[in-house]
Amino acid sequence: MGSDSITNAAAVAAFSREMGKKKRVNRYAKLKQCKLDARREQWLSQVKNKGGEDSSRGSSPPSSLHETNEGNGSLGHLEMRASSGISVHESDLESPRDSLDSSNSDNVLRKDCPRTSTSSRSGSSGCFSGSVSEDEEGDGGPDDWEAVADAMTASDNRQHPNTETPVRTETAVEPGAPKEFPKNGCGVGILKPEWKRTLPRASTINNCRAWRPDDALRPQSLPNLSKQYTFPMTGERHCIRGGSQIWGCHNMSAQPSQCPICCEELDFTDSSFLPCSCGFRLCLFCHKRILEADGRCPGCRKHYSPVDGQMGVSGGTPPFRAARFCSMSSRS
Amino acid sequence: MSAMNCPMSSSIGGVRSWPSTTSGSAWGKRIQKEIAEFNIDPPHDCSAGPKGDNLYHWVSTIIGPPGSPYQGGIFFLDITFPPDYPFKPPKVLFKTRIYHCNVDSNGNVSLDILKDGWSPALTVSTVLLAIRSLFTNPDPYNPRVPSIAHLYLSDRVKHDEVATEWTMRFAR
Repeated sequence: MGSDSITNAAAVAAFSREMGKKKRVNRYAKLKQCKLDARREQWLSQVKNKGGEDSSRGSSPPSSLHETNEGNGSLGHLEMRASSGISVHESDLESPRDSLDSSNSDNVLRKDCPRTSTSSRSGSSGCFSGSVSEDEEGDGGPDDWEAVADAMTASDNRQHPNTETPVRTETAVEPGAPKEFPKNGCGVGILKPEWKRTLPRASTINNCRAWRPDDALRPQSLPNLSKQYTFPMTGERHCIRGGSQIWGCHNMSAQPSQCPICCEELDFTDSSFLPCSCGFRLCLFCHKRILEADGRCPGCRKHYSPVDGQMGVSGGTPPFRAARFCSMSSRS
Repeated sequence: MSAMNCPMSSSIGGVRSWPSTTSGSAWGKRIQKEIAEFNIDPPHDCSAGPKGDNLYHWVSTIIGPPGSPYQGGIFFLDITFPPDYPFKPPKVLFKTRIYHCNVDSNGNVSLDILKDGWSPALTVSTVLLAIRSLFTNPDPYNPRVPSIAHLYLSDRVKHDEVATEWTMRFAR
């Protein structure tokens, strides 16, 4: 558990450093810096085109990822609830007391490992201090119900200044969300789905369960839900743990894996990039290069229309944004 | 100069040239892939490969297709890839003399895909296939040698006779 959380924290910290600069993670460390520059430029220009809202959106994801990681890696469901704040708060009031007990017993386990992960996270990321302080509090391992309640309200209060990001995500997620999480309705701003999603996640991913399977007070609806949501969620986890394969699960199935022009591998950005209506795919690098020259699609030899290019890019981005915002909204 | 602009060049409308370091290796990969693919599935009656160590300089042969006046001839071509290869067409030069309205006495070929019609998606294979199809279907309306094109249009038999004679003389 501890080692998992550490690797997670490390991977995501590196990831969020990139994100802090509104950049996409590059899967290929071996790619030249110049290629990174190309992407960067393309992204910057997109962001510019889409206006200020986009840029603010682009800056928020790291926080979501942080919380994602804390939640499943090292911290138990108590912290998750504490950090998941408003929505979970109410529903938790009805949660049985022994769930708290079990988590408290888990605190013993957690005592040492979360510390390490927290420190590594705070040391390396430095772009989202809020999450760090939050789980400091959670790590403390509240002793009784009052302490838990205090922690939750405290984190609630702290969350509220931050809620501008989740609130904004509501609008941001809507278009892409159904694609990514068809079953859970994405739970943006909706209290119930959030609660449902959080719990199975806590029970499956951490080994500290909110409700034990044999728990008498365990709600009837839970088993189905956990089965329903476990698979996609763990899938996501695998992707994140894989580090280099972060968006692997969203990747295309029947697309060329190499750019037909430069024969480099197509990464996620490239493969979601459809610059021409003829369907000819190529990497952003070659696309830019072609735009600098005659600007004709290699596939159909027609001139790239600026509209097509933009649509292709914006059509490709929402899914991955939505994924991040979903995960964030479930916890914040 | 481009290297100086590179790190901070702004995105908005800033057109910058790519550092040459990248292009070299990236397009090298493309050429290597073309070699591999060519060896796996070469076009009919064609061969091609790098001349020596230089991946950007190939030698190719095309065998005159049956049914054309060039039948039985073996025509050597030099293919030179520009440094910005897939974005610019390769330069193809006939090393074997040929009586053809689209090939001049220096071996230059007039073929649209080698000029304006080039697309980075085209490969050596497609270029050689296009040249090979010129053997059977000359394009007298975009001639490199107008006199041959004129003869081709006015007296096809005479044209074919001369072409066969040249093939016998130079391409065997």
